[in-house]
Amino acid sequence: MSAEDPNPAATPTPCEDTQGDGRWISLHNRFVSDSKDKEPDVLFVGDSLIQLMHQFGIWRQLFSPLHALNFGVGGDATQHVLWRLSNGELDNISPKVVVLWVGTNNHGQTAEQICEGIMAIIQVIKNKLPNARTLVLGILPRGKSPNALRERNAKVNKLVQEAVLSLPHASFLNVDPGFVHSNGSISHHDMYDYLHLTPQGYQAVCEPLHAHLKSMLDKPAEN
Amino acid sequence: MSGDDMNPAAVAQPVKDLQGDDRWMSQHTRFVQECKDAEPDVLFIGDSMIQLMQHYDVWREVFSPLHALNFGIGGDTTCNVLWRLQNGELQNIRPKVVVLWVGTNNHHHTAEEVAGGILSIAQLLTSRLPKAKIVVLGLLPRGERPNPLRQKNAAVNDFLRSWLPRLGQALLLDLSAEFVHSDGTIGPQVMFDFLHLTAAGYRTMAKPLSDLLLHILEETPEEKRASAV
Ligand SMILES: [Ca+2]
Repeated sequence: MSAEDPNPAATPTPCEDTQGDGRWISLHNRFVSDSKDKEPDVLFVGDSLIQLMHQFGIWRQLFSPLHALNFGVGGDATQHVLWRLSNGELDNISPKVVVLWVGTNNHGQTAEQICEGIMAIIQVIKNKLPNARTLVLGILPRGKSPNALRERNAKVNKLVQEAVLSLPHASFLNVDPGFVHSNGSISHHDMYDYLHLTPQGYQAVCEPLHAHLKSMLDKPAEN
Repeated sequence: MSGDDMNPAAVAQPVKDLQGDDRWMSQHTRFVQECKDAEPDVLFIGDSMIQLMQHYDVWREVFSPLHALNFGIGGDTTCNVLWRLQNGELQNIRPKVVVLWVGTNNHHHTAEEVAGGILSIAQLLTSRLPKAKIVVLGLLPRGERPNPLRQKNAAVNDFLRSWLPRLGQALLLDLSAEFVHSDGTIGPQVMFDFLHLTAAGYRTMAKPLSDLLLHILEETPEEKRASAV
C-alpha cells in the first residue's frame, strides 16, 4: 500500500453525523468525561457488540467486579475507534488491559485493510498506555447461512492472530464458542439478528473471556 | 396527506442486502415461519426499539405472559414494516392487539410523510385484522440535546394524534415526555446511545404500556359475550 493510497480502515476518522442528532460525538464526549473520575483496570472498546454487552446482566455479573469501563459505540468500524482513542478516550485512565472488539462493520474493506486498522489501534493504545496490554477478540461469524462476510471475518482473525504473535503488549482471543452449527447455520437464540448477541450468546462468550481476563490481571508480568 | 401511494414513506419495500449476509431476509423468513406455530394475543412489530425489548427481563416478566410475539428488526423504516406485513408476517395469526413502533429510522422522509407511513401500516392492520386494536407507540426524542430529529419525531406524534382516531381501532400511546430531563438533555441511564433504551428505559414504558394492553385484552372477551347475546 503506497502513501498516496492510505488505508481507510487505519485512518482515524470521526463518524459523520448524517442523521443529525449528534449521538456519536455525544457518546465520545461522555466517554472522555466519564474517564476523568474512573480508575478502570479493564477497558472494553469497540462497536455494538461491546456496547450491548454493557446493557445485559452479564456485565454487572462478570465485568463490573473487575473494575471495567465500556466504550462501545454501535456501528463503529476500526477507523472510528482509532479516532476516538486518539482523541481523548485514553487520556485520563491507565487500565491494565484493553479489550478490543471491532472490525465487523468495516464494510467494503478487505481483511488485510481491517487487520491493519486493528494493528493501528493496538499501536495507539501502546503509545498512550505503555504499560497496558491489548486483548483483541476475534470477530464473530455473521448471517444465518454461510456468506462472504463470514469468510472475510475469519480471514481478519487469522491475520490479526499472526500479527500480534510478535508483540509483547498484545494478544488474540477467539471467543466464538461454536456459534455456527454443523449444518452451517447460526441460531437466533445466540444472535437475535444473526449479528448481535442475545443474553445467552453473551453468556457463552463472556464466561471464558472473564476467566482469561482474571488470569491476565492475576499475572501482570507475564505475556 | 394520508397514507396514499404518493407518499414515499407509505411504499412497501424490502431492505436491500447491502452488507452481503442477508440478515434482514433471514429474520423476515423466520417471522413468517413463527406465524405457523404461534397463537399470539399481542403482536409487537417495528424497528430496533421493538427488537431490543425482547432481550431485557421486562419482556419475559411483563409482555411474554400476555402471549406476545416480537417482530422487530433493527433499522427498519415504515416502508420495510409495510413490506413485511404484506408478505407473510400476518399469515395464520389473529392477535387481539398489535403494538406498532416504527418511524425514527425514516431519515429521508418528512414528519408528515412518516406519520402517513405509520397510518398506512395501521390501515393495513385494521383491514387484515378487523377485530384487533392497534396501539401505535409515539416516537421517542433522540440525541443527548435538543436537535432537529427531536422536533421531527414530535411532529410525527402530533400528526398521529389527529389522524389515528379516524381509524376507530387505533390509538396513540405517547410516552416521549418521560425521557427528557427538565434541562432538555436525555441521560444515558435511560437511552444508552441517546436512541436505544436501557433496561431502566424499558421499565419506564412497560407499566403504562402493559396497563393499556391488559385493559384492551380484558375488554375483548366482554365484547364477544355481548355480541353473542
Ligand atoms: Ca503477543
